[in-house]
Amino acid sequence: MPSVCFYFEVHQPYRLKPYGAQQVGRDHDYFDDKLNAEVLRKVADKCYLPANYSMLRLIERTDGRFCISYAITGVAIEQMKRHAPEVMDSFVQLAETGAVEFIAETYYHSLAALYDTDEYEEQIEQQVALIEEEFGQKPRVFRNTELIYNDEIGRFIADLGFDAMLCEGADDILDWRSPNFVYTAAGREMRLLTKNYKLSDDIAFRFSNQAWAEYPLTADKFARWVHGHSGAGDVINLFMDYETFGEHQWRETGIFEFLEHLPDLLFTHPDWDILTPSQVIDRYPALGELPFHRTVSWADEARDISAWRGNAMQQRALSEIYSLGPAIRRRNNSHLLALWRRLQTSDHFYYMATKSASDGAVHDYFSPYEGPYDAFIHYMNVMKDLNRSVLAPVEKRIGI
Amino acid sequence: MKILMLGWEYPPHISGGLGTACEGLTTALARRGVEIDFLVPTLYGEEDAPHMHLLGAASGQAPHEAPPDAPTDRPDPFAVLRAADPALATDPIFMAALEAAEAEAAESGTAEVQMLRVPAMLKPYLDQATYQELVTTGTLPSVALEGMNDPESHPPLPAPPSTITGLQHAHVPGDHLPSAGESTSGTHYGENLFAEVARYALSATRRVAGRKYDLVHAHDWMTFPAGVEIARRAGAPLIVHVHSLEYDRAGHGADRDIVSIERQGLEHATRVIAVSYYTRSLIHRVHGTPLDKISVVHNGVYERETIQAYTEQRTSKGPVVLFLGRVTFQKGPEYFVQAAARVLEHVPDAVFIMAGSGDMLPRMRALVDKLGITKSFRFPGWLRGAEIERAFSTADVYVMPSVSEPFGIAPLEAMSYDRPVIVSKQSGVSEVLRNALKVDFWDVDKMASQIVAVLELPELRRTLIERAREEIRHIHWDAAAEKLVPIYQSVVRG
Repeated sequence: MPSVCFYFEVHQPYRLKPYGAQQVGRDHDYFDDKLNAEVLRKVADKCYLPANYSMLRLIERTDGRFCISYAITGVAIEQMKRHAPEVMDSFVQLAETGAVEFIAETYYHSLAALYDTDEYEEQIEQQVALIEEEFGQKPRVFRNTELIYNDEIGRFIADLGFDAMLCEGADDILDWRSPNFVYTAAGREMRLLTKNYKLSDDIAFRFSNQAWAEYPLTADKFARWVHGHSGAGDVINLFMDYETFGEHQWRETGIFEFLEHLPDLLFTHPDWDILTPSQVIDRYPALGELPFHRTVSWADEARDISAWRGNAMQQRALSEIYSLGPAIRRRNNSHLLALWRRLQTSDHFYYMATKSASDGAVHDYFSPYEGPYDAFIHYMNVMKDLNRSVLAPVEKRIGI
Repeated sequence: MKILMLGWEYPPHISGGLGTACEGLTTALARRGVEIDFLVPTLYGEEDAPHMHLLGAASGQAPHEAPPDAPTDRPDPFAVLRAADPALATDPIFMAALEAAEAEAAESGTAEVQMLRVPAMLKPYLDQATYQELVTTGTLPSVALEGMNDPESHPPLPAPPSTITGLQHAHVPGDHLPSAGESTSGTHYGENLFAEVARYALSATRRVAGRKYDLVHAHDWMTFPAGVEIARRAGAPLIVHVHSLEYDRAGHGADRDIVSIERQGLEHATRVIAVSYYTRSLIHRVHGTPLDKISVVHNGVYERETIQAYTEQRTSKGPVVLFLGRVTFQKGPEYFVQAAARVLEHVPDAVFIMAGSGDMLPRMRALVDKLGITKSFRFPGWLRGAEIERAFSTADVYVMPSVSEPFGIAPLEAMSYDRPVIVSKQSGVSEVLRNALKVDFWDVDKMASQIVAVLELPELRRTLIERAREEIRHIHWDAAAEKLVPIYQSVVRG
């Protein structure tokens, strides 16, 4: 009896304000509070609130046969509590249905896995504690930032005691294998659930693309595609950003109607049901080990980590922030520690990516974002101020 | 498809980017099978344009080449003008210019011969100071120089009737007529430009009379009167191509007569081509031309054969920040100076080079003095050839803080020397560049911050340079021609 498994990522970073050379040494508030509040409220109105409402109704209507899973970053929860507490309330309400599983990740949506494993572990512990506190669940399943995964990360997470981890079903990793089965991490018993990127991206990326041959995508059509896998897999993993609903795909595209109808249409085939990740690993056996010969993520065509450290600027910024670790920890100051960690959020480095094609980018001029170079400049100015104004004075005192 | 293109200059005798742009564009169009007659006011004989038929409006042609239906007598400029546009005939500027041309022609026999002797020394984009400097440094073509310096061989053009206000600003460089002193507008133009524009319209019309074209393509306001008249006579659609607007060059000091010529060209055109979205919206704002009548075709650049491997010949110890261009209102030099003062707080050994000349140069020197940063500034004046190459290749960053720049080719040139560039958002080139830093020209704090970052962060420099090297390969004239040919086709089909 094959299953569909839904997992949604909920994340909002603390965006930096434009921070010029003139501010270094004078201005120690790095984040754009106004923008961050605006974005959170906007996304709450367009996505979180209506989508949560839809999910809740679907769960109630199907008596829990429709079930889902979320990973909500700590920095997103902090900002929701501050700017849109009703969103947190509705997530709690969802948790209370018993049909929603919460998945662990790093509190700060960081790249610590690649730079500082002690830090990585602490951010995971912090997030697990938050999920327990907010939703009353102890997560069994883990997803790393942007599904970044390699064998080393797999072993590390397995050794922390997680039962399963989510990762991208990249073609070159799966090779002849299907993403629609459960695997184990190399050298560990921990299960791996691999994203069916074809079907996931049909919803997340292509849903409203009028140039796409399958446009418009109806719930009926999608359910038939899923049912077409009968007998050829145990589980179809549909992993995507939660903002797909109402934000990446606007309400006008019909994404909410699609969501509304999908569960019933999936259930029209008697063999198929819907499970959360924990239920998947409890029901289906692992087919075998799935080794990753490279670091994979769910970003970009390349499905690698070049979105965050593909150029010299990103590498510099990352090495800069992680090299501060010892100095920050020595201060034993929770405020400073939180500040440092907010600066680790992967989005900062994502903004510095220079990969998008040069062609057809004519209207960057009108974009509210000022591009990768300004992102790097602002970030490095913040680093300079943090070093000079916050860290340096104390280092001096200690020296004496 | 056979087209007539009306230009104002053609390499190597150029005063700005227009001639170079025309060369690039026609080369790429010819590769796509477009047959081009290209008409300029004067040919010098050094032009090299195997890809098309280059015509000088003023060059004498053997009589048998004159089309049979061309008037054999001196044309009546008033008739030509009224035929072109009845509204034009009441325009004092044109009336005066044509009267002047006629008077001159009457004085020395046939108009055709006389045209030959009109030196194309009138540079529409130059202010007087730059113009003077070009003349003294010999950058202006020798023919023009002779014309300038030897009133014997070329009698001075007749002065416009002083009663006509529109021509008061048309005075000889360095020779301020008291009667013209009141008018500050238009002083950035050369002598008798309007007369030459009208004369060009007249001789161009005669030059191509009887020839058949699918369309007429006119570059910038100087050729618009000619374009309007030729297109009308030939019954062909007119495309006007805006490389810059009077507003770009002069801001609120814009010359209303030029603005009026621009507007008439835009109104008569079947389609308008703008070199950037920036220029497109400016045309719409200044002239009210409907946006859907204006297509954007970005300029290209020629690929440099080999990147000049200049050994860095630095004279200064500190990092070098370069401004290179006319020191005029349009180019925003004062924002460069203001940013420099802020950069020096962070990078005290930085050196700022303001290369070029123009009417704002003395003020810039004074401002630098006043800010107390004279020691960090160099004013090498107008650079040429190898000097420009050296300036680019020894700079650590090139800044183009233009207040209003329709396109702006210099940043692309700087990029071809592997220099990081900072461009104002008020430039067309900022639309096609991803791998440049962009800033509002007035935001000197941010400009300073970007300069500091480029000087201090090698990763920023390296990424900018590497990506830009890749990027400029895609900014070529073939892409421009690819956009233009379908526009031609749609215009011809009506």
